[in-house]
Amino acid sequence: MKPFNYMRATNLHEAIGLLAHHTPNVCLLAGGTDLLIEWRRPSACTPENVIDISALTEMKGIESGNGRIVLKPLTTHAQILKSQAIIESAPLLSVAATVIGSPQIRNRGTVGGNIMNAAACADTVPPLIALNAEVVLQSESERRTLPLHELFLKPYETVARPDEILCEIRFEKLPVKARSSFIKLGRRNALSISRLSVAAVVARDEAGVITNARIVPGATFPRWRRVVEAEKLLVGEKASAELFRAAGDTVSELMIAETGHRWSTEYKEPVIAVLVQRALEQCCR
Amino acid sequence: MLQMNTLTITTTINRRNYTLCINPNQTLLDILREELGLSGTKRGCEIGECGACTVLMNGRAVNACLVLAPQIEGQEILTVEGLAVGEQLHSLQEAFLEHEAVHCGFCTPGMLLSAKELLDENPNPPETDIRFAISGNLCRCTGYVQIVEAIQAASANKPERKP
Ligand SMILES: Cc1cc2nc3c(=O)[nH]c(=O)nc-3n(C[C@H](O)[C@H](O)[C@H](O)COP(=O)(O)OP(=O)(O)OC[C@H]3O[C@@H](n4cnc5c(N)ncnc54)[C@H](O)[C@@H]3O)c2cc1C
Ligand code: FES
Ligand code: FES
Repeated sequence: MKPFNYMRATNLHEAIGLLAHHTPNVCLLAGGTDLLIEWRRPSACTPENVIDISALTEMKGIESGNGRIVLKPLTTHAQILKSQAIIESAPLLSVAATVIGSPQIRNRGTVGGNIMNAAACADTVPPLIALNAEVVLQSESERRTLPLHELFLKPYETVARPDEILCEIRFEKLPVKARSSFIKLGRRNALSISRLSVAAVVARDEAGVITNARIVPGATFPRWRRVVEAEKLLVGEKASAELFRAAGDTVSELMIAETGHRWSTEYKEPVIAVLVQRALEQCCR
Repeated sequence: MLQMNTLTITTTINRRNYTLCINPNQTLLDILREELGLSGTKRGCEIGECGACTVLMNGRAVNACLVLAPQIEGQEILTVEGLAVGEQLHSLQEAFLEHEAVHCGFCTPGMLLSAKELLDENPNPPETDIRFAISGNLCRCTGYVQIVEAIQAASANKPERKP
């Protein structure tokens, strides 16, 4: 690892001040599970200044109340998967946290780091977008809130400026009647970085008619998004295998339209369609 | 060329307090093995995949290769060297020996600490929980069966030993 100047922030205010002072040759360090690997690569460009935010207690924890969840960015995947509030009001996020890395990675890796690293395979992102999550970015000069899906430009790139810190992730709890699911396809259970995944939410009325549907595939589109085109097919209909197959096919067609044909397309095209179908079926069991 | 700051940190390793002078670009694994000679913690892949470097940090299993050294300030670290108390081996260590869960031994320190986190939280884990808890620790020798048996044996609900 190349040398750098290390600073430990003791509170959020101090972290923001240090960021402003050292921008743009600066990097925030949370759990380090992405960064330490990056910094050890022979070709890595390590930052001149590292601000360690891992000790900021005000940036840890899950708050639940008034129909909303506020997730602090330094909350670890292990804390998310054990949280009763998340299990009850956003079970798909709980599932995603469970399948990340290994116990050791989940004990260190944070949801904020997962989001800000912005890898196409970040597992908490599809569920959070399906939850219509918003993120709060703070700098010395402003505090702004944006929908999570607007944060990302492309893999490993966000709209956040180098002097901004992610300080909150929040979303409305899913309605009691809504069902949700997250399916990740990996090579094996532990330590498989997600290649394809799907987060889905489906709500139905008493008659079984779908009133709300959300579909967010991971590692599929150049930018994460809800696939409104497929969601529209579902609303107003009753759950059926044909309906879900049509939704899966729509996602698959859009993927090809937006990413073009790649070496992996032959594999991804049928697989993403089936994953969408299964994710929707899980919501309607 | 950037001048790197050295840092003085205080930390607890195996119940002993240390004040250490470190370079911030070292990892916890470097500190344990290179600075303190605690070579029980193994250096394997150094990308968080093998679990050979697993230690407990405030009771939670972490990959020492992915913890930046200054991040252990004020934290409590437990390595395999701290499992035994005096001459008295930890019940997990006894069970690993008895069940022949140690072959080459490279994965053993990490396995023991992942298992300890589990048993500290749930003294009676079902087998699925045991397998989940050691899913971040690779073993190339045993095929895991003896390791799972050893952890079961060390847990409160020891299954009857098969005759
Ligand atoms: C073996 C292994 C397996 C893995 N498996 C998975 C997996 O299955 N699924 C998955 O999604 N990921 C996986 N990961 C990736 C990683 O563990 C996660 O992305 C983790 O959540 C990153 O969090 P962190 O706190 O460790 O981030 P760090 O490495 O500390 O930081 C990552 C990035 O986020 C920035 N950052 C962190 N916090 C903030 C903040 N509050 N505001 C602004 N910027 C911030 C940092 O500057 C950096 O750019 C794996 C990693 C390893 C090593
Ligand atoms: S050496 Fe740390 S996980 Fe392999
Ligand atoms: S005993 Fe050799 S790797 Fe596990």
